[in-house]
Amino acid sequence: MITEEAPEIAPAPAPAAPEPPRPAARRRRAWDEVPRWQIYLPLSVYLLFTLIPFYWILLFALRPAGSTSLVPWPMTSVHFGKVWNERSFGVYFQNSVLVGVATLVMTTVVALAGGYALARFDFRLKRGFMLALLCTQFVPGALLLVPLFEIFANLRMINSLASVVIAETVFQLPLSMILISGFIRNVPYSLEEAAWVDGCNRFTGFRIVVLPLLRPGLIAVGSFAFVHAWNHFLFALMFLSDQGKQTIPVGLNTLMSADSVDLGALAAGGIVAAVPVVIVFAFIQKWLITGFSAGAVKG
Amino acid sequence: MTQHRSSKRLLRAGRALSSPHDRTCPQHQEEESRPMKISIRSSRRAAVAVALGSVLALTATACGDDGSGAAGDKGGEGSGTGRITFWDTNGGVRTDIWKEIIADFEKANPDIKVTYVGIPAASAQSKYDTAIQGGGLPDVGGVGTAMLAEVAVQGALDPLDARLKGSALDGKLSKNLLDSSRAAGGGDQLYQIPTSSNNGTLWYRTDLFERAGLDAPTTWSAFYAAADKLTDRGRNRFGFTIRGGEGSIAPALDAAYSQAGVDSFWDGDRTTVNDPRIVAALAKYVALYKKDTPSADVNNDFTKMVAQWDSGTIGMLSHNLGSYQDHLKALGADRFRGLPSPTRDDGTRVQISNPVDGLSVFKPGKNKAAAWKFVEFAVSHAENSKYNRSAGQIPANTEAAKDAWVQEAEPTKLAAEALNGAGTKIVQLPYYLPDWNTISKADNEPNFQKVLLGTMSAEDFLDLLADQLNKAQADWKQNH
Repeated sequence: MITEEAPEIAPAPAPAAPEPPRPAARRRRAWDEVPRWQIYLPLSVYLLFTLIPFYWILLFALRPAGSTSLVPWPMTSVHFGKVWNERSFGVYFQNSVLVGVATLVMTTVVALAGGYALARFDFRLKRGFMLALLCTQFVPGALLLVPLFEIFANLRMINSLASVVIAETVFQLPLSMILISGFIRNVPYSLEEAAWVDGCNRFTGFRIVVLPLLRPGLIAVGSFAFVHAWNHFLFALMFLSDQGKQTIPVGLNTLMSADSVDLGALAAGGIVAAVPVVIVFAFIQKWLITGFSAGAVKG
Repeated sequence: MTQHRSSKRLLRAGRALSSPHDRTCPQHQEEESRPMKISIRSSRRAAVAVALGSVLALTATACGDDGSGAAGDKGGEGSGTGRITFWDTNGGVRTDIWKEIIADFEKANPDIKVTYVGIPAASAQSKYDTAIQGGGLPDVGGVGTAMLAEVAVQGALDPLDARLKGSALDGKLSKNLLDSSRAAGGGDQLYQIPTSSNNGTLWYRTDLFERAGLDAPTTWSAFYAAADKLTDRGRNRFGFTIRGGEGSIAPALDAAYSQAGVDSFWDGDRTTVNDPRIVAALAKYVALYKKDTPSADVNNDFTKMVAQWDSGTIGMLSHNLGSYQDHLKALGADRFRGLPSPTRDDGTRVQISNPVDGLSVFKPGKNKAAAWKFVEFAVSHAENSKYNRSAGQIPANTEAAKDAWVQEAEPTKLAAEALNGAGTKIVQLPYYLPDWNTISKADNEPNFQKVLLGTMSAEDFLDLLADQLNKAQADWKQNH
């Protein structure tokens, strides 16, 4: 029985006491006092404002070229066929998935290790290191293009997806490490100490005790890394030349020529690019919000 | 075993800490003891999967090259056989036609293979800049006059005068376009073999003009009259759409020089952009904004402008031949026409030089002989004709410009006649100035928006532009 085992556990330091929630009755009264329109009207306006561009994209993707109808009828899949087959979006999609997943895995693994070190160890210049991590966020990727290009060229990695994965991972790491260290700090250290007392080494203790508790944080950091790598254009454009290795954002840009734009194909390409991100967010939304609030660094 | 059991308890305690509800719910706690084994197994599996995934991902994404070939390299002629790399700087839309040309070339030259790389048009300049600094330049690539000076000034291009002189292409390329190419590269040497030219085109809706009883807008007077007559703001109908966003400066200057009849960009070392005749013409043109155009035009780049014209009820659009296929798809062949920019009432035609597309051989290339063979082939009669027919542009090869399709495609034919007409005066924009792109884009596009919105006068705008151009010209002269 769990209730009997509980006293064996080393007492953990109590987390900062959260503000007690307001009684349900008071919350309900406050809700009842506000006229409904004051809530729904701004929300509806905001929703409309947000959804109209998406509707516009759907409209252009699904209606035939030359139609000026405001509803996508008659509906056509010609634009999707064109981008997927003629414009090689099938290949770009595979490459983007590969880059996104590899960046997610590498960012999460390295950020976990780095975040653990930041959360659990004190070392000289730790504050300076944290500050340096934050400062890297202010450097735009474009500034580092030439040095990164030279490094990858020396490593014979130009025109390889690995160069994009590594560059994306490097740019994702500082923020991810800071976030993960926040999550790890929220897990009482005494839990790990108790695991060591029970015979675990540091890695096993971390894997069995801490890692499962970090799930919301890992999902938040991983999804953030995936979405960023999925959408990022610059590194893929600069480091990849082979048509068969390019990614979705580069493919989308090739749909806009210097003097002409096929809006139907562009809209269809936009939907192909957006769908995976929407699906990822739909599935992880719950953990994402928990993750970011739990990992927030307290000042 | 003991270790794991204790750890499980710890884990449960940790979870209880993180979830107050679980702590107070014994039923929930009992249920948790089962999934715990799964959790440990699954975390082990996850660790293995992560490690395996990382290895697989890096293996799958590795294998690249060193991207050699930066601006400092001198390159070499090579054997004239082997593999060369070609960058198409209008990738995507022109990919199919270039692949067709490459297939023809490889058939005619079985010992040369061409690697095609399509680059989005908007990012071509930055891709070249990075490759010039870091390496990875191609053997041959598309370099338009708009970026020619910036690429040439960094020492990345091979001069082509001598190669052209000894080539079958000599004497077969449009002299006007060769002059533009030479001027854009700085005037001394030829760094680009022109493939095609664009031309400013006034697209108009024939159905709306017929309904309003209007004649074709061939002169500026007819243009302004039609813009007024076709506008019905209450019914969301407009006579014209003006370009106020990205790329607005060249069309505005085209309209101003064309109306004013000023036929040179320089008067000695001073620019003519703030000549009183240009100021008056620009003020008249800008006054159309909101009177005969949609107010959203202030942010119009060509994409929005073309989309707005193709899907709405706007009478006229000033763009170039490049959007012909878009109009054809959207409106069909019978509802629009494309004319060269209007003339003055006395029939004088003045127009600014349009960007000339072309091919350049890159200095660091190690197989320049093969690269030049590709250039010669791509600009030959048959291939240049094929390319421009697909792109809807004016061929640089004079034999290709006489082909039947040019005579049948009215906008292209009229543009070619206007461009090569004896009475046409071309105002050469200073593409050779390394600062031209900065001055004509980042520095002055926001100012043109101010002019449209009425917060800056046309005169102040042009005076500012003239100051910057005069300074850039003086700097350039000092270095040449």
